[in-house]
This record gives sequence, structure tokens and C-alpha cells, in this order.
Amino acid sequence: MAAESAILPMFDPIPAGAWLVWAIPFAAALIMPAIGRLSHRVTGFAAVGFALMSALSAFSLLPMALAGGEVHEQIMWIEAIGLKAGVLADPLSVIMANVVAWISFLIMIYSTGYMKGDRNVVRFWFWMLFFIGSMQLIVLSDNLLQVFFGWEGVGLASYALISFWYQDKKKDHVGQSNRRVLGLMDYYAPTHAGMKAFIMTKVGDVMMIAGMLLIFLFAGTFGFRELVGDTAWAVEMSAQGLLVPAFVLLFGGAIGKSAQFPLNEWLLEAMTGPTAVSALIHAATMVKAGVFLVARIGPIVFALGAAGILADQFFEIVAWVGAITALLLATQGMTNPEIKKVLAYSTGSQIGYMMMALGVAGLSHQYVDGYTAGFFHLISHAMFKASLFMAAGSLLHVVGSRFMTDMGGLRKHMKKTYMFMWAAGLGLMGAPFITTGFWSKDAIFAAVYESGTEWALPLYAIAVLTAVITAFYTTRMIGMVFFGPKSKHVQKMESEGHPPHEASVSMWVPYGILAALTIGIGLIGLSAEEGLHHLFEVYLDESFGIHYGVSYGTAGEDGSSILPEFLQGLNPVALGSSLAAFAVGIGLGYIFYIGRLVDPVRFVNSNLFFYAIHKVILNRWYLNAIIYWCFVVAPLWLARGVFRYFERTAIDYGMNDGLQKAAGWGARVVQGTQTGVSQSYLFVFGAGLLFVVLILLM
Amino acid sequence: MLEVASTPMVLVAILGTVGVLLPLLGIAYKGRDNTATNNLFATISFAALAVSMGYIGYQFVDGNIAASALFSDEVMSDDAFGAFFAIALLIVALFTVSGSFAYMKKHENASPAVYYSLILLATIGMVLVAYSTDLVMLFVAWELMSIPTYVLVGFMKKNPSSNEAALKYFLFGALSSAIIIYGISLSYGLTGSTNIGDVIEGYANLDPAMMPLALLSVGMLIAGFGFKMGLVPFHQWLPDTYEGAPAPITTLLAAATKKAGFAAAIRIVVMGAVALNTDWTLALGILAVMTMTVGNVAAIMQKNLSRMLAYSSIAHAGYILIGLAVAPHSHLGLQGSLYQIFNHAVMKGAAFIAVAGIVVALAVTHIDKLAGLGRRMPITSLGLVISLFALAGVPPLSGFWSKLMLFGGALDASGTLWWAPWLAIAGVLNSALSLAYYGWITRKMYFEGETQKRVAEPRPVIAVMIFSILFLVGFGVYPEPLLQFIEIATPIIPGM
Repeated sequence: MAAESAILPMFDPIPAGAWLVWAIPFAAALIMPAIGRLSHRVTGFAAVGFALMSALSAFSLLPMALAGGEVHEQIMWIEAIGLKAGVLADPLSVIMANVVAWISFLIMIYSTGYMKGDRNVVRFWFWMLFFIGSMQLIVLSDNLLQVFFGWEGVGLASYALISFWYQDKKKDHVGQSNRRVLGLMDYYAPTHAGMKAFIMTKVGDVMMIAGMLLIFLFAGTFGFRELVGDTAWAVEMSAQGLLVPAFVLLFGGAIGKSAQFPLNEWLLEAMTGPTAVSALIHAATMVKAGVFLVARIGPIVFALGAAGILADQFFEIVAWVGAITALLLATQGMTNPEIKKVLAYSTGSQIGYMMMALGVAGLSHQYVDGYTAGFFHLISHAMFKASLFMAAGSLLHVVGSRFMTDMGGLRKHMKKTYMFMWAAGLGLMGAPFITTGFWSKDAIFAAVYESGTEWALPLYAIAVLTAVITAFYTTRMIGMVFFGPKSKHVQKMESEGHPPHEASVSMWVPYGILAALTIGIGLIGLSAEEGLHHLFEVYLDESFGIHYGVSYGTAGEDGSSILPEFLQGLNPVALGSSLAAFAVGIGLGYIFYIGRLVDPVRFVNSNLFFYAIHKVILNRWYLNAIIYWCFVVAPLWLARGVFRYFERTAIDYGMNDGLQKAAGWGARVVQGTQTGVSQSYLFVFGAGLLFVVLILLM
Repeated sequence: MLEVASTPMVLVAILGTVGVLLPLLGIAYKGRDNTATNNLFATISFAALAVSMGYIGYQFVDGNIAASALFSDEVMSDDAFGAFFAIALLIVALFTVSGSFAYMKKHENASPAVYYSLILLATIGMVLVAYSTDLVMLFVAWELMSIPTYVLVGFMKKNPSSNEAALKYFLFGALSSAIIIYGISLSYGLTGSTNIGDVIEGYANLDPAMMPLALLSVGMLIAGFGFKMGLVPFHQWLPDTYEGAPAPITTLLAAATKKAGFAAAIRIVVMGAVALNTDWTLALGILAVMTMTVGNVAAIMQKNLSRMLAYSSIAHAGYILIGLAVAPHSHLGLQGSLYQIFNHAVMKGAAFIAVAGIVVALAVTHIDKLAGLGRRMPITSLGLVISLFALAGVPPLSGFWSKLMLFGGALDASGTLWWAPWLAIAGVLNSALSLAYYGWITRKMYFEGETQKRVAEPRPVIAVMIFSILFLVGFGVYPEPLLQFIEIATPIIPGM
């Protein structure tokens, strides 16, 4: 038997799974065009099948990871500079990989219905699989450079998918063609939107690669584990004042990918892509990549801090960027009339929450609290946001308009969608005790509140205010779509004999599952969170040496809690705030959009103050317009000026003609000396000899 | 005494015997069909040169060639430096003979036996210059190289421009020989020896009061060798001579005798500069910049292809001189020079042989007449274009690497030589400038003119073209073997 096992290579399913999770989607993307040659109809099934295989590979890692295990495999990549490629399947990456894989799988099923009849479906499947593969490459890489490859792959796939409908038909635009902000149209074509996403995230990417190379310059490695192993590089960088800048540059990449302030504006125009793409970008891939990167490098930074090499400013910047984004984008969710844009604002805002939690974690003594809160919110957000996006896609599909003002009163026609949207929406709002969103948001509140930093109070206020706004805009969205009188558009559809109807099975099942999970896991949310907390305690301790000291929560500290038995372990202040925020938000939303007790339009116009605020928010706080003026309009203007006044004159007339004339003139001068008369040649020869001797004698 | 079996002696024996016997054969064959005798003599010469080449190759393989020695007690040194130059010079001589196959058929009144004999004798002279380690030996070899070429330039007796070319060449050749011998006599007077090693050692321990005289002798040697190298301001005879001389002989002058001048300069001037530890090289730097600039600027407006290539070869002398100027401060300098010398021998040789082919087939050298040549003479045109681009230093051709090494050497020396980077800058600007006229020829050949019938291309020319294309592209893509050869051949400068 021993001899036999020596001949047959041992097949260990766990490390193989870690490679396959991202290798399968990449390989599948490559063979997709070949399958498309055989049959367009089969491509959908094939793509879903490959996504399932990738998800099962990820799932095979789960038992190992939940037991606190870890797989770290490396192969030589570029021998000359000692560069290695590898997979790192630790609890963090395995859980993330499963979230990505399974939600992508459901979105792929949904896409078979959503993309039915599209002629370019092969291209769609190619990029979707490429997208998933790139994301999983980020998640399972063991070093920054490999992450960067996935990072760019994600950027490329997002570009290709956002501008998927590259013919720029009017129905595929986003924004309103008749609105202008600071003289610029707030109306974008798919190709423009794809370019915008690509370029804006590229700003972050450049920062990221700068940060990576800076660290590599000192550490000589890109590996996450190697960076923790020997901290001499950090001491050196810290001494030169480069440690915080390097980490902040890395975070710049996360800002771009996760659409955080000030690189948040691409996310809205990204809605030009097919809705399945939006769901994928917002729930599973792309924007979550930034959060994941911070979760990857955060413990390294914190462990360095624990070893005396402080980089607190990094965490402060992360927390504040998150907080500003959370509030800034939540406010805009209240005013926008396009359903997908509301959800996009919501995503940016929720990502801001995650960033805030991960930032605050580094500023508190219990790193694991904020860390768990941020990551738990990532998981719960992935579920309800994917569900909401897919439901919104069904609405678009059925109604044929992206504006909520073209919907209204749909609850009777689309009962299932209505139900699922409530369930997922409650998750987003943080409906107490039954939804995952409640527990994860509560954990963030608690982490911020208990962090003990000087910034705790303002951050906490922003977090609670954002929660109120979140509950309000979610209620507004559901109210505008499903309640109230039917819009003219819907009436017209009915009169033409095409009343709205429920979406097809392949579409509602995926978002139904995720909506059910939002409630289902929500019911056991507290124990799920504690399980995650414990897992990360062990993980951070073993991998980074971050010890978990004091017991978890305020209850343990003073030994007595005012909370009832089943809520033991929660922070009462955080709990109270989240209950209040939910109640206020949904209450206001009910008044305006479900009960229709007050007409929101009249309410806004009643008062100059509200009118002004509404206008500023609706105009995206003018941030988008300012960015366009500074980085698009002004450079174009400058380029035209350079062309007219520099290229046409200095280059064309000055250099091109001038050089030519000068060379011709020089040639004539030299030719002039070439008389053909031997006497003059001899004279020059003699003079030359004299010249050489004189130089030598000098 | 030098061994009889040493490489230079064997080369003298092979080439000398054939060279002397050819005119006798010519008398024996007098009156026979001119084409047949021409072919016979050309074949004999080609074989003699090829055997010589083979002998050097054999010596290399057999390990009989010493490492590059700077000096020796003998009058000649059988070293890798000499062998390197001998190979480059023999390649050019083979090119010349190949080009002459076709060229001499056109000029039936000339005597082919004497013609080939003179080529072989000149070749012996060039090779011996490269092997010489004694000033008197060097001078004798120098004259052995020069005198046959005076005759060869004026070989077309009835052609006035050939006569004018020969006269100018002879006039300046005589002057430069006089200057060289004056320089040699000064150095002999100062040191009491003609052995280069002894002379340089003597210079190193010279009474400071005598220093101006020593410098004067060095200046005279620079001017004397500079005449053959075509350095500005000793260059003015060169375009007139290249234009008037028979096209294959121009090849020999531009690609071979010029290189012999460099061989002499490297043996004496550069080594001497190091031994004397003085800043002579500034003079070489100034000459380098002047030479490449004047050469390239003058080439731009030329209407005659031979004349344009003549100016281009002046410019290339300037590039090669960069390496000599920085040699004491960077080991890349001499290596780059040697590399460029080898490449230039092939590039310029091929370009002039292409001209010879064009002259034979179409009897034109005016650039406007080259319109549409790409279709009329496709292989010659391709060979010419590849050579021109290699001359310009376009990657991935072989000429790119040698220029890179030269300019790299200049930058490498910038730590100890403040003016060295300016050489690199001047070199790069000049290379860009040179593309103007290389590109112009290319445009004429391929993008202008009406479609005309293909004409017969002389077969020996085609052979040279194919060899050059393979050489330039092959060593451009994979320069490693050539680099290794150059590394062996480059003398190690003491004190570096």
C-alpha cells in the first residue's frame, strides 16, 4: 500500500479546492465562446454549472476553515526575484469565497432568465465568469501582487459589463436627459459609464500599486504571511515616515474599487449594465473587494501597532472615509427617482458602514469586535442587496422603465416580488431581531460606541443618522413601487393589454432564496455573530498574535445588564439607537410613501430650507459636477488650447519645419566647405593638425 | 623572432603568394576572353581570402591565439585583438571581391589580374596593421595597405572622376604618411625605441620638460591615423574619393582601411593615453562630436548615394571614436568601439556592395533615380534597407546593440569624466538626425516611382546581401556569441 501511494500522487481535496475556486471560472470563461459556437441556449446552463462547480470548491474548504484551519500553498512564480504565487485559505478568505461563490451562483441562475433572448449572451457569460474568477483570485491570493492581478481583472470585467449594451440606446442610459447640474448633463450612456468606472477606479489602482511597491521595496515580499512574520521592514518604513503613507495608498485602491468618498461617483453610472451585473458588482464582487482588502491588511497594521509600530492614522482615515461615504450616499438615496440608483447609493452607504467598522476596530482595544462587525455586515449586506437588485431587475423587466415614478401600485400584480422585497428591504433597514441586517448593524454601532477613541461620538452620531435615512429611503422605495395609485405608465400598459405580471421562475427563485436567508439567518443572528466573533478571535490570535483580552460586550464588564436574557451580550445604547433609528426611518417613510398622508413634493416645496437641501442632494452634492469640471471639462479645454497654441505653432512650425530648415542650412554650410579644391583641403588638414596639438598642449 | 607558423605570417604567406602570382597568371592569360579570366582571378582571390579566414578560425578553435596583448617584444603580436580585426577586414575583402565579380565585367579594358592582386596586397597591409606592435612595422604595414589602394581608386584610367579621386587620395595619403613618420621619429627620439610598449613606458617616465614634444608626436599620430579614419577635419578628401572610386573599392576603403586606422589608433593612442595618465582623450571627444555632426549634417542634402554613404561613414567614425575617448574610464568604451567596428564593416560593406550592384544593373547612383528600386531589385533593396536601418541603430538589428554599448559606455564614464555624457547625447541626437536621410532613401526605394520590371540582380551581390541580412538580423536578435567574441578581443586596459 505504501508503494502504491508513492506512485499515485496524493490528491488532497482541500488545497486543490483553493486553486479551483478561481481557476474554474477563468477556464470556463475561456471555453465559453466555444460552447457558444455549438448553441446559444446551452451557454446559460454551462455558465451556471461552472459557477456551481466553483461554489462547491469553495464549500469544500468551509469545514476546514470553520474549525479554524488554514491552507497556505505556494508555487514559484518568477524565480529571479523570488516571487511566489499562492493560495491562502484562512477563515477570512474561505468565508468570503463562499459568500462570493454562492451569491454569484444565484445571480447566474437569475441571469439565465434576465438575459433571455439577448444576442450577445456569450459575451455576457464570458465576462460574468471572468468577473467571478477575478474576484475569487483576489479573495484567495496569498500576496498583494496576485491580488492586484485579480483587482485589475475585476476592473476590466466591470468595464466590459457596465458598457455591455455598447450601442448606447436611449433606454440603456441612466439619469434624466433634461436635467443639468452646474451646466453639465446628468445623463450617461453605457459606454461612457463603463469608461467612467474604469478610469475612476484606476485612480485608486495606481495608488494601490504605488503602496504595494513601496512596501515591497522595504519588505522584499508581497506575501501577507511573510509581512507579518518579520517586521523589520515596518520598523524601517516607520523610521522614514513611510509606513502610514504606504498603507493609505493601499487603501486608495480600496476607495476606488469600493466606491468610497471621493471616488464614489462611478457607482451610480455603473447602473447602465444589465441588472444581474449590478447585483454582482454590488453584492458579491467589485465593491466588496475594497472591504476585503482592508480586512486583509487591517490585522497586519493592527499587529504592527500592537508590536509598537503605530499606524493609527491609517485606521482613522478608513473610519472617516467610511463614515462620510455612509452619510453622503444615504442622503442621496432619499431623492433619486431611479430604483437602481437608489440601491446603488445604498450600497455605497452600506460599504461605508463596513469601512467604518474596520477602521474603528483598529482604534479600539478589542480589534476583533469591529472586525467581526464589519465582516458580518458584509455577509448580510451581500444577501439582502443581491436580493434587492435582482428584484429591482424584475421590476425593470416587467415595467420597462427604470423610474419609480413609472411604477406604483404593483403589489397586487407582483406578489412574490413584493414579499421578497419587503423581506430584503427590512434587512437593509435593520428590522429588529429578525433580520441579519439588524444584528450586523447593531454590532457596528456597538463597536463604534465601545471603541473608546476620541472620534467615537461623532462617528456614532453619523452611524445612527445614516441608519434613520436608510430605513427612510428603503421604505420610500417600496412605497413608491408597490403602494399608492398606479402610475400613468402602468395604466397605459394595462390599457394596451399588457398588465404587469410576476417575473419568471428562474428570476424570482434566486432573490426569494436570498430574501428568505435574510430573515432565516436573522432569526439566529446573534448566535451566528458570536460564532463568527469566536472564529475571528482564534484566527487573529493565531495568525497575527492579536490576543483577545477582556470579555465581549459591556454586560460582562459590570456583571449586570438591563437587557433581558436573550439579549445578553448586547450593548444597550447601541440596541436602543438601532431600534429608534429603524422606527423613525420607517415611520417617516410610511407617512410619505405608504400611508401617503403628506405629499412629499408639496412638503419639499413648502419651505425654502427643505427645497435647498433637496436640490443639493438631488444634484449629488455637486460632487459629480465638480469632478467633471476639474478632470474632464478643464483638461479637454486645456488640451484644445495646447493643440491650437502649442502643437500647431511650436511643434508643427517651430520644431518640424524649423528642424528641417536648420538641418538643410547646416548641410549647405558644410557643403560650402567641400570645395573640391585640393589646396583648401590641405589648408583645413593643416589647421586640424594644429588644432589637435593645441588641445593636447592645453 | 616571430614564429613562422604564427597567424600574421601565415596570412602574409597565403595572400602574398597569391597576390604576387596573380599578375603572372594575368600575363599568361592575356588575350583570352576577359569575362572568363575575370571570373577565374576573382575566384582565386576569393579562395585565398576564404582560406585565410578559415586559418584564423582554425587557430581560434585550436586555442593558438593568445589573449589580447597590449604590447609585445616582437614586431607583431599574434593575439585575439589582431585576429578580431583580421576577421572583420577579411569579411570586407570578401565583399569587395564578390562585388568585383560583376563590376569588372562591365569594364573590360581594365586588367583584372592586377586589380585582384592589389586588393589582396592591400588586405595584407590592413591585417598587418592590426597585428603590429612596433611603430616601424606599423608604418610599413600602413604603406602596404595604402599604396595599392591609391592605384585601385584610380583604376578606371579613362574616367576623370576616378583619376581626380585617386589624386586627392594620394595627395592626402602622402601627407598623412609624412605626418605619421614625423610623429614616430619624435617618439623614437624621446624614448630611443620603436617598440610601442617601450615607447609608452618611456613616455611615462619622461622628463616633464620634454612633455610638449611627446604631445606633439601624439597629435601627429592622431592626425595621421585620423586621415584614414575620416575624422573631421581630416576628412575632406573622403567624399570626393569615395564617389569617384570604383564602387567595390569604395567598399574596401569605407569598411576596411578605415578600420585599420582604428586598429592602429587603439594600439597606440588609447594605450598611450592610459600609460601617460593624461587627459588626451578630450581631444578625441571633441573630434568625435565634430565628426559625427559634420558627417550627418552633410549627408542630409546629398543627391548621390555613394556620397551620402561616404558622409555616413564619416559620421560612424565619430560614433566609434566615442568609445576610444572614454576607454580609460569605462570598460564598455573599447568594447563598444570594437563592436561598432565589426558591425560597421558589415553594414557599410553591404551598403556599398548594394551600390555596386545598382551601378552594375542600372548605372545610376543619383537618389532620385532610385525611385521604385524596391520592385526592380528587391533583394538588393532589402539588403540596403536593412543595412541602413542597422547603421541608424534601429532595434533589433545588430547596429542597435553596438550603439547602445557605446552610448552606455559614455554614460558609464560620466562619473570620472564630466564631458562623457555629452558624447552620448550628441550620439543619440546624431542617430536621430541620420534617420532623416536613411529614411529618405527607403522612401524613394519603396514608396515612390512607378511599377517597373524587375531587372537581373548580380548574383554575387545577392549573396553578400543575404549574408548581411542574416548577420545583422541574426546577431541583432541574438547578440550573445558576437558579444563574447568582442569580450575576448578587447584588450584589458591596465589600471582599470
